[in-house]
Amino acid sequence: MSTLIIIDQPPYGSWEGREALDMAFSLAAFDQPVSLLFCGAGVNWLRKGQDAAKVQQKSVERNLAAAPIFGVEALLADGNACHQYGLAETDLPDHVSITDFGPELTGHFDHVAFAG
Amino acid sequence: MITLNTLHILNKPPAHSRYKLCLSAIGPEDGLLLTENGVLAVTQLPEINSERCFALEPDLAARGLLSQISGDQTVSFDGMVDLTASAENVISW
Amino acid sequence: MSISSPERTKTPAPAGVFALVITGAPYSSQAPQTALHFARAALAANKRIDRIFLYGDGVYLASSLNVPPSDELNLSEAWAGFLTDNNIPGIACIASALRRGLVNESEMQRYELSASNLRAPFEIAGLGEWVDSTASESRVLYFHKGS
Repeated sequence: MSTLIIIDQPPYGSWEGREALDMAFSLAAFDQPVSLLFCGAGVNWLRKGQDAAKVQQKSVERNLAAAPIFGVEALLADGNACHQYGLAETDLPDHVSITDFGPELTGHFDHVAFAG
Repeated sequence: MITLNTLHILNKPPAHSRYKLCLSAIGPEDGLLLTENGVLAVTQLPEINSERCFALEPDLAARGLLSQISGDQTVSFDGMVDLTASAENVISW
Repeated sequence: MSISSPERTKTPAPAGVFALVITGAPYSSQAPQTALHFARAALAANKRIDRIFLYGDGVYLASSLNVPPSDELNLSEAWAGFLTDNNIPGIACIASALRRGLVNESEMQRYELSASNLRAPFEIAGLGEWVDSTASESRVLYFHKGS
């Protein structure tokens, strides 16, 4: 059963994004097919140069970079949201693919979930 | 009961960012179930009278919205169980 | 628009088993209340509920220390009663629970805390319990906070 975990909330202001990453990494750890989608304000997780220590939190940049190695099949970012938040394709980490959010995307997975 | 491809359960009011996200993910054979603050959509959504759109009765009643939607589309929790069990997929937004 | 495939044209059997994930806290959201009404209706319809999983703020539902006003429903108590009466496991995710100060006796001892507050019959376990649900035949429903 393939799962799509969606992150639509920005980093550091709330914990849903972190909890979504935990869900995705747990699925990968148990060899379950999983992909991550960043949409809405969630695309801000992908911005480079985050200095999370300034707000006493851990940055997720390294986690996200390691996601493919841990078995997360794809990291996707909604093109419209990237545009809305001023993120060009070149601003995104290498292994992140731009996609179009819609029923074709969500319909591709057996299971679609948010962390909160 | 119509066979639904994906049932989308939406408890976010129209002002919430995830409300629009949910609506953009609804395919032509899908259904929408409004619950909790999501029932506020009955005051705004033109598609609300579609046979694929449902709203939870206790949440409509609590908010004084029962008259805004046809009885055929108002479901109890029993109806919600039916809808979630019979759809091919369910996404909780 | 997807093209109808042979799999899509036959009507599948309705789901008979549910797993419910609650991520909204009681009194901060409707999630635990909506989930409880759903759970009761599911059992009345002869469906099975495989487990309840509390994640994120949902873990607050497992507190033994909630004291709502006497004219309000005690959601933690109502859920505990429902789980016990129907022999359904209720699991609070350990990472979410520890962060938010929901601890059972063994975690209390491990971290040398002053008290424990996990309400029976809830138990603490890892996300693996949720992964199990997604990999199983259960239909997994999520009850998130609404706003």
